[in-house]
Amino acid sequence: MSDRDTFLGYPRPVGRPGIRNHLLVLNCTGLTDAAARRVAAALPGTVFAGTMYGMGMIAADGDFHTAALSGLATHPNCGAVLLISADRTRLDQMIAVVEASGRPYAALGLDDTNHDAQVLSQRAICDGAQLLRDLSTMRPVPCPMSDLFLGFECGLSDPSSGLVANPLLGQIADWLVDAGGSVVLGESIEWLGTEDELARRAATPEVGAALTDAVSNRLAMAHAAGLDLLGTNPNAANIRAGLSTIEEKASGAVLKAGSRPIQSVLSYAEAPAAPGLHLMDAPSYSPESLTGFVAAGAQMILFTTGLGNSYCSALAPTLKLTANAGTARNLPCQIDFDASAGFTGQTLADLAPDLMAGIIATASARLTWGEIIGEGAESISRFGAAI
Amino acid sequence: MTTKAHMVRPDDMVAYLLADARPGMTVQTASHALTARDAIPVFHKIALLDIAAGATIHRGGWPIGRASTDIPAGAHVHVHNLVSAYATSKETE
Repeated sequence: MSDRDTFLGYPRPVGRPGIRNHLLVLNCTGLTDAAARRVAAALPGTVFAGTMYGMGMIAADGDFHTAALSGLATHPNCGAVLLISADRTRLDQMIAVVEASGRPYAALGLDDTNHDAQVLSQRAICDGAQLLRDLSTMRPVPCPMSDLFLGFECGLSDPSSGLVANPLLGQIADWLVDAGGSVVLGESIEWLGTEDELARRAATPEVGAALTDAVSNRLAMAHAAGLDLLGTNPNAANIRAGLSTIEEKASGAVLKAGSRPIQSVLSYAEAPAAPGLHLMDAPSYSPESLTGFVAAGAQMILFTTGLGNSYCSALAPTLKLTANAGTARNLPCQIDFDASAGFTGQTLADLAPDLMAGIIATASARLTWGEIIGEGAESISRFGAAI
Repeated sequence: MTTKAHMVRPDDMVAYLLADARPGMTVQTASHALTARDAIPVFHKIALLDIAAGATIHRGGWPIGRASTDIPAGAHVHVHNLVSAYATSKETE
């Protein structure tokens, strides 16, 4: 096997291996947010994620939220979980999800500590310390590329994104899909104008219809709110940088999808049922979008930017790339991969092997700039009003 | 003075500047050499041919909007003369 055939990952009892071995402090209810943050702060090296919401979320909104929390709790990069919740119901629900994944965990609820957040924090810190000690003995092993699931995002794009950086990710998508791995991209409003072409690549007519419906639903949402997409997407920064219309931005953004068949249109936070290329019907704002991919199980995010964008996932190392030479020069501790040679004579095929090597190095241990400087958060989308 | 501009396909109607252009500067693409009529910032678009008002502008095989006015070759192409087919504001109806 060549170096390009494997990466080092942490095997899990169920599902894909992790490319990191984090203890996740997962705050499952808004009431416990501050207490859970104190716990994470007292346990250096842990990852914090969770929700600011709880009871009152109804129907699809509640279901998406539970799916997203469950996806985070069982994320491949999370070797163990410390579940924190105000109420027993949510805690028991998340315990069942984590137990099915075979991960070590501890769970603490305010119901069990007489609603004393200080007692909860103290107990959680002790339990978390034990989990961290257990995690420290795990070692990564070589894993095939088919075990890798990448999420693709673009943020603060300029025309360099659609001309070089996004088509370069298209090459990565084709490479990983051909190796039996998985890729997801979202931001459904940015399929606008390209949906018929994408639908022709759908694995089944149903997937094609789901894809075009997703776009028309997003457009209808924008129009129902009286929104002219110009000014919102592309936004003011995109426009200053030279992007003029949504279809110009979208036709550059979808190049991330490469050329392989589209296997499914996933709901927010939905894990793909099979390997290959998938689209997620989801909001385009990066914090929500990335958490959708991460909750679906993506171990790493590849994030193209034109002007620079510091946002990263907390759980999935987020590799930043740009084809704007000025941005790469100005943001040396943000941009992990400089693709600007794509404008000075190098082809995408020239650049792709270096990026593949960077992906494997990052999967296998190398930290992203975002990990080094401590960027990283998760933000679960809301899909309706609460009662 | 010459500056370069990037094209995706030979049938592109616009190219993307790889450095700021001033009016009168020569802009060189893979297949065209033309004179910039306007100041055009890096990564913004230059018209590679005369484009009539109402025409759909293509880049990389994709429509990227419609000319809202006549655009001469060498002009800056951006939100002042290119509108989305999906825009809903009054002036684009």
